[in-house]
Amino acid sequence: MPKSADGRRLTRRGLLAAGPRAGLGLGFGALALESLLGDGQPALAARAGTRAKSVIWVFLSGGYSHVETFDPKPALNAHAGKSYDKTPFDNPVNSPLHRKRFRSVPAEEINVRDVYPIIYPMQVGFAPRGRSGIEISDWWPQLAGIVDELCFVRNMWTTDNDHAAENQIHTGRHRLDEPQPSLGAWASYGLGALNEDLPRYVVLGGPTRSDTRQSIDSLYLGPQHAGVPLALDPVDPLPFGRRQAAQSARQQRDEFDLVGRLGAIAAAEHPHDAELRARIRGYELAYRMQAAVPEAVGFGDETEATRRLYGLDVEATKLAGERLLTARRLVERGVRFVQVFPSPYGVWDSHQKLKENHTRLCATIDLPISGLIRDLKARGLFDETLVVFCTEFGRTPGLEQRSGGVDGRDHHPNGFTIWLAGAGVKRGHVHGATDELGYNALGDGHYVTDLHATVLHLLGLDGRKLEVPGRRRLEIDHGEPIADILA
Amino acid sequence: MAMLLEPRQNFTRLRRRGSGGHLVGRLGTIALLAILAAVTNLSAAEIPIDDGSDHWAFVAPERAALPPVGASGSGHPIDRFLDAKLAAAGLEPVAAADRATLLRRVTLDLTGLPPTRDDLRAFLADTAPDAYDRLVDRLLDSPAYGERWGRHWMDVWRYADWHGRRHVPDVWNSAPQVFRWRDWIIASLNADTGYDEMVRSMLAADELHPGDRDAGVATGYLVRNWYALNPNDWMRSTVEHVGKAFLGLTTNCAHCHDHKFDPFTQEDYFRLRAFFEPMGLRQDRLPGEADPGPFQPYDYSVLRRIERRGTVMVYDRAADAPTWFYTDGDERNRDLARGPVPPGVPAFLAHGRQPPIEPISLPPPAFNPILDERVAAAFRADALAAIEVANRALEEVHPLGDGVGLARKTAAAAALGRATAALVSLDARLAAERLRYGSAPPDQVVAAAEAATAAERRAAEQAALEALLVAEGGLATARAKPETDAARQAEVAAAAAAIEKAQGAVEATRGAAMRPADGAYTRIATAYPATSTGRRAALARWITDRANPLAARVAVNHVWMRHFHEPLLSSVFDFGRAGAAPSHPQLLDWLAVELMENGWRMKPLHRLIVTSAAYRRASAEPAPAGGAEPGGAAPAGKDPENRLLRRMNVGRMEAEVVRDAILHLAGTLDRTIGGMELENAVALTTFRRSLYYSCQPEEDGRSPFAAVFDCADAGDCYRRSRTILPQQGLALANSELVHAASAKVAADLRAGLPAAQHDDRSAFVAAAFEHLLGRAPQAEEMAACLDWLGEEGRGPVGHPEPVEPEARRAGLVRVLFNHNDFVAIR
Repeated sequence: MPKSADGRRLTRRGLLAAGPRAGLGLGFGALALESLLGDGQPALAARAGTRAKSVIWVFLSGGYSHVETFDPKPALNAHAGKSYDKTPFDNPVNSPLHRKRFRSVPAEEINVRDVYPIIYPMQVGFAPRGRSGIEISDWWPQLAGIVDELCFVRNMWTTDNDHAAENQIHTGRHRLDEPQPSLGAWASYGLGALNEDLPRYVVLGGPTRSDTRQSIDSLYLGPQHAGVPLALDPVDPLPFGRRQAAQSARQQRDEFDLVGRLGAIAAAEHPHDAELRARIRGYELAYRMQAAVPEAVGFGDETEATRRLYGLDVEATKLAGERLLTARRLVERGVRFVQVFPSPYGVWDSHQKLKENHTRLCATIDLPISGLIRDLKARGLFDETLVVFCTEFGRTPGLEQRSGGVDGRDHHPNGFTIWLAGAGVKRGHVHGATDELGYNALGDGHYVTDLHATVLHLLGLDGRKLEVPGRRRLEIDHGEPIADILA
Repeated sequence: MAMLLEPRQNFTRLRRRGSGGHLVGRLGTIALLAILAAVTNLSAAEIPIDDGSDHWAFVAPERAALPPVGASGSGHPIDRFLDAKLAAAGLEPVAAADRATLLRRVTLDLTGLPPTRDDLRAFLADTAPDAYDRLVDRLLDSPAYGERWGRHWMDVWRYADWHGRRHVPDVWNSAPQVFRWRDWIIASLNADTGYDEMVRSMLAADELHPGDRDAGVATGYLVRNWYALNPNDWMRSTVEHVGKAFLGLTTNCAHCHDHKFDPFTQEDYFRLRAFFEPMGLRQDRLPGEADPGPFQPYDYSVLRRIERRGTVMVYDRAADAPTWFYTDGDERNRDLARGPVPPGVPAFLAHGRQPPIEPISLPPPAFNPILDERVAAAFRADALAAIEVANRALEEVHPLGDGVGLARKTAAAAALGRATAALVSLDARLAAERLRYGSAPPDQVVAAAEAATAAERRAAEQAALEALLVAEGGLATARAKPETDAARQAEVAAAAAAIEKAQGAVEATRGAAMRPADGAYTRIATAYPATSTGRRAALARWITDRANPLAARVAVNHVWMRHFHEPLLSSVFDFGRAGAAPSHPQLLDWLAVELMENGWRMKPLHRLIVTSAAYRRASAEPAPAGGAEPGGAAPAGKDPENRLLRRMNVGRMEAEVVRDAILHLAGTLDRTIGGMELENAVALTTFRRSLYYSCQPEEDGRSPFAAVFDCADAGDCYRRSRTILPQQGLALANSELVHAASAKVAADLRAGLPAAQHDDRSAFVAAAFEHLLGRAPQAEEMAACLDWLGEEGRGPVGHPEPVEPEARRAGLVRVLFNHNDFVAIR
């Protein structure tokens, strides 16, 4: 642990405990130092007994339909073609929840999103699976086989009715509210590294577009906590992670050695310059990272059986399979938070041809995600890794009629389903529900930050203690862990 | 209960108004006030309102008397304040830095570029007593000063290039012409324009300097916050950042509820917003550029152009735009019963005297840009150029014997007629526009407008005629094809139809030209309201008034932080009660008053700071006395964070400086100032200064190189973070930028040595240290480097992989780029 000049231990926990004013006085440099001089110590020691060491956060961009994946609603078939007010149920649009959970980014005078009231039947069958009898749709044949490992939350809600909801589920803030760091950045900030040779927070397959940068950004937490996008290319996975072609490995080693030697001379000259020492260590880590990252993203030592488990041998599943297998390799090597985008930006967005679209897309994900769960179990990683499977919002129970549409559903922030699996969560469990029509998440439901609080809790952190001096967050930013799903 | 009144702060917090009631519910507040009134024998009306006067930052700064000259022996005002605090803490300041260190420090500080080896040798050779003062003057006079400090202020003022959906591309935020605001910042700083004047221009140049487009681009400060999809968002960003940047007030807290610490109510929040409510954006033609046309408003179904021409600036579009109070931070929850909220500054700072708001009558060229002679000339130049083109075309067409040639000649003649008529129309409309806002008698105005209508109709008729003749040429061409051509028949038919249509248009325009002129001609450029509300001008004047307690303190603190690497008050955007306490309140106030009384000019402030003994001190703790305490730390436990500045803080180059320094030392930095921003994709292969590359919050809004060195967060950057990341080492070790620069520097240094020393390895090592680190190598460093180079410059004896001396020298330079003391500023 680094010490300040008066010999006190300089820890982030110490800074926070000393209160905002004391922390502000130290400046930003001190925070940065701590992370590099920490010798791998967690920045904020996890709560005793914590089981989750790492998180694999799988995000499907565009908004998959909850009523065609994990939340069966027979009433949609029974009342297909009727408008909401012609069913025996309360019209969900008249619920005060509708307005609370449905906020447009465009001002009302610019564009108001239509609400489509004609009920569109489910486009796929559901059946009970496994010993738990949890119903998921027929588009998930592989997942059906491991449903007893999964924990579903069927009463999620968010507020953005357009795709900035992708940023919202990662940061907890609506587009019209001030931005906040992403969940992965908080995890990095709170936990520190298990393996200094790799970034703590890695992004695979994203950010999916220039404007989804916010979903991996660390903002005021500093760039050391931002998601580091890695390319799945063992030759060049990380910006500046590759030696220039004209330079031999030996030459580069020589140069790093001389940097170290001159650094040692400087350190003797400036014994109180902690930042200098941190930089020397940073350069050593840089050299190791240069080797460690390509090793982590290469599959050279993976067996044929493992490759097949993730569907690497099939074109449809290869992309998601590679990203999820890489995620497993990264958590195995101590990366704290891997944010995986297994599908391209927005592809789940099914305003039209929902059946065709979801049939195809589920087939790209079903095998690899099931393979990941099986693989984690086989390697004994399932008990220390938390897998989150989510999207930005659900889809409307009503038929989208925009531009004469006849076979799709619109965005639906009012209720949607996600699932979790692995360290610290119940297995074969369903939590919460939407109403009979799949419209509103019932009860208080869970705003996206409840999911954040759950993830942080399972990592042994209390989100409320993760504050940065001068950057007070709001109540809604913290959420509450979903107690019912904790094992 | 008497305890409740002491200290005063407890009392004032209870006496908070407003409906938010986060601390105490509304009823609770009333009940508490009743109790307070009872126990203090005051009636509720007599309970003093929280005016913030208990908080130092809410009271205007005054100069304290200078303390006596202290331990540093300097009579400089800054040193007298610092020495007094050091003495009180029982601390002695350390000695001055050596001249080489000081040169590198001050050169990087004022220009963002390091001194070269030549600069170092020249400065060390200049032993005159005023050498340092002359150096400072030279650096402040360098155009690089405006770029260096421009980037600093761009952080504070949240500079961002266009973004929104760059991958489409579509512009939802800021504007593609906002780079002109960046250039204005640089030019204003180089001209030493006062900070007050800059702030006033950024908030209200359209009202304070109407018609001056060069000043108008300053409103880029407001343009930058524009958000196509939601005007409330534009207002929200503006209120938040005007509060944080200029006043050090976290006004954003009161978007949803009364401020929890400062006496800033939710009502105050909306009153502040009302200053900006009338705003709209306009796009003006710049002389010397093509006409960009009017500003493209947002339409849900249309992409917005990346328009680079002209200026975008703010104007008051709707004087009567209401500001609605809404709750929970959700603009759908408007409290219509309250009625619109009028503009006003925070009540606790107004002390009952709201700044007067007077509507401003704009001079005609300001609200009708065509009345600006240069703009009119640009339109005329377009028309004349069109005539020239038509003339040349007419000369070039030969009426050959066949019908096609004749038709072409006729059409070309008609084109000339059209272009000429267009000029006549333009001139007539120009004349009408000029009379419209002048003092001419009404009948003349009407006559000119009618003449303009008539000229415009004639121009339309000429254009229709040209179209008809072109169509006839088309028919001749089609007919001239051989009968055997399969397409002939269809083309002839199409041409005939086109002629018919064109004939209709000719008749219609001719008919229109025959009707009495009504004076309703087409305006040449968009005309805007002739009056501006004066709201923003009033706010801007209030912020920069000598009596404002916050503006100068906030500015001085920002300047100080960038010189000393730590601010006097660490919560740089929060001077309120929840903010930090300043380390040297009297010094902060003295400097704030100094700034204001010196015309708010910043160069004198910089000069004052960098000529203090404190700024010139060494950053290292002094050598151990007797070696008893290794390293000679500060006296045990005293001021470990160096808040009292007994020594200088060690700085670290910002992301921009790292890149610029590498290019500058390689002699490849392109010093062109200003212009359209460049893409980050080319940041490592092009050589402009870093502040000219796209800066915005999307994925491509920073270069990968800059990102690892804590470049600006375009959304919020009152203070840069300063991290140490392994990726920084990778960027310096592996980037193309550093490799190219290392080879170039190594070759240049060697070439710069006297011929006899070309293969003198010691001379090379010394030159490399001087050039990259701004100092000579120590004996131990020299030994390590010589050992590394080896006798032949191919590595140590027995090195398994001998390399060419040239590559080894480049390697040594690269090592020094990777040395801590390259990015560190000692």
